[in-house]
Amino acid sequence: MKSRLPLPPPSALLPSFRGALHDRRTAAAIGRLLGVAMLVCMVTGVLSHYLQHPPSWLANDLPARPTWGYRLNQGLHVGVGIAAIPLLFGKLWTVYPKLFVWPALKGVRHALERLSVAVLVAGAVFELLTGLLNTVQWYPWPFSFVPVHFAVGWLLTGALLLHLAVKWPDIKAYWWQRSAATRALPQEPENAPDRRSLLTGLAVAVGAVTVTTVGQSFTPLKDVDLLAPRHPDHGPLGLPVNRTAAAAGTTRVDTAAWRLTVAGPRPYELTLDELAALPQYEVELPIACVEGWSKNAHWTGVRIKDLTERAGAPGAALRVVSLEQHGAYRVMDMGRTYARDPLTLLALRLNGQVLTPDHGYPARIIAPNRPGVLQTKWVTRLEVR
Amino acid sequence: MAGRYAVGALGLALMGLGASLVWAQSPWDVAVWLVGAIVLHDGLIAPLVLLVGLGGALTRPGVRGPLRAALVTAGCLTAIALPDILRPGPKNNATVLPLDYVRNWLVLLGVVGFGAVLVLAVRRVQAARRRRGL
Repeated sequence: MKSRLPLPPPSALLPSFRGALHDRRTAAAIGRLLGVAMLVCMVTGVLSHYLQHPPSWLANDLPARPTWGYRLNQGLHVGVGIAAIPLLFGKLWTVYPKLFVWPALKGVRHALERLSVAVLVAGAVFELLTGLLNTVQWYPWPFSFVPVHFAVGWLLTGALLLHLAVKWPDIKAYWWQRSAATRALPQEPENAPDRRSLLTGLAVAVGAVTVTTVGQSFTPLKDVDLLAPRHPDHGPLGLPVNRTAAAAGTTRVDTAAWRLTVAGPRPYELTLDELAALPQYEVELPIACVEGWSKNAHWTGVRIKDLTERAGAPGAALRVVSLEQHGAYRVMDMGRTYARDPLTLLALRLNGQVLTPDHGYPARIIAPNRPGVLQTKWVTRLEVR
Repeated sequence: MAGRYAVGALGLALMGLGASLVWAQSPWDVAVWLVGAIVLHDGLIAPLVLLVGLGGALTRPGVRGPLRAALVTAGCLTAIALPDILRPGPKNNATVLPLDYVRNWLVLLGVVGFGAVLVLAVRRVQAARRRRGL
């Protein structure tokens, strides 16, 4: 006897999605843009990583041109990452019903596919969230940002490539609005205008988040820089700062006691007056921070290659030592390509004024195509390597 | 076909590389944050968006497009403004987060709302002209 009432199947308790646009054409149309954004972030991220921490075999061959190379690279990394936020929201909204498929696991193959999608979703949200919080220097997690953001970047790129391989037939079939597969979707062609309007909405959102933040590195748009964590007009001598003299313990440098020591085949010391009496050059080079902000500035100072030539090692690679007592970038290694470049200066002046303490008084490095953390401030010692 | 398998295999290899790099850091802390990222989106953000979307789905198609674009844009602007607004603790220096972000965020929401109303008004006028055969 069947006396018990049949229980509803578990699938009946799951949400159902009758709304349009949770379909493969929409997923493919948003997904390809998001995929391009992710690849741009990965390539620029890896480039930035190796410009900042070059392996020893590469350190002397990194290019010093174009002078704006790192600025563009990092502006793209952060800008495209921000632009990817609306795309990721849109893509995940489109495929959200798949979270509730029933049966949840149909077999080993299905389980592996769902696991790879979980890694993809987790990695994508994680990278955009940690990257965005890093730009405002907010670190609520217990791990170190740079190596973990780098590691999860590889995890995410791998999951993305695997996803592309698994979904390749769908990507191909739904690439075009008028493809046979798209036209065979259940609510086509009635859905097409609504889908276009959704994609237009996402494009507006991408434009809005880009325009209101990109001014922190693309200075012509600085007047609409409303939401970026930096603004080109906010900073001493018209240039933002990251590490301050107060943080570095270099607020009061005794100018009379300060010496530049150059160690090499013919070592020597210079006072600030002697340094200022050497031939001075003016260059226009950007400070470009790994966090995405950047700005061009005019720098005046002594060419590094003149200083190494005087030490008997023209154009040699250098180790640069700062006055600061602590800090991950107190000692900076400079490869040959930068050290011999005529634009690389030990700068004494910024935008026509003597450096302020926060900009590295009495002397700082400025070199083309390098991350801001390697533009060492409060320099006291150069060692030919 | 071979290319497809090659891309998949490369993907698996890079996932392995990424996992080994995570392992060299603090794997459990990172795992908690990775799972947390899924919970944050799938458990909080997506249901909220769907709830708002339910309201939008009741509107006419002509209204739905601009309304949805405005809501998506406002939502994304809010997502990138929140870290500026909520970041706790003293700032590194005065050039970090130098702007009034609450004001700027509210101004942008106003601009988005105004833009949506403008688009709807222009469309209504155009539709009326079409009906009158102009």
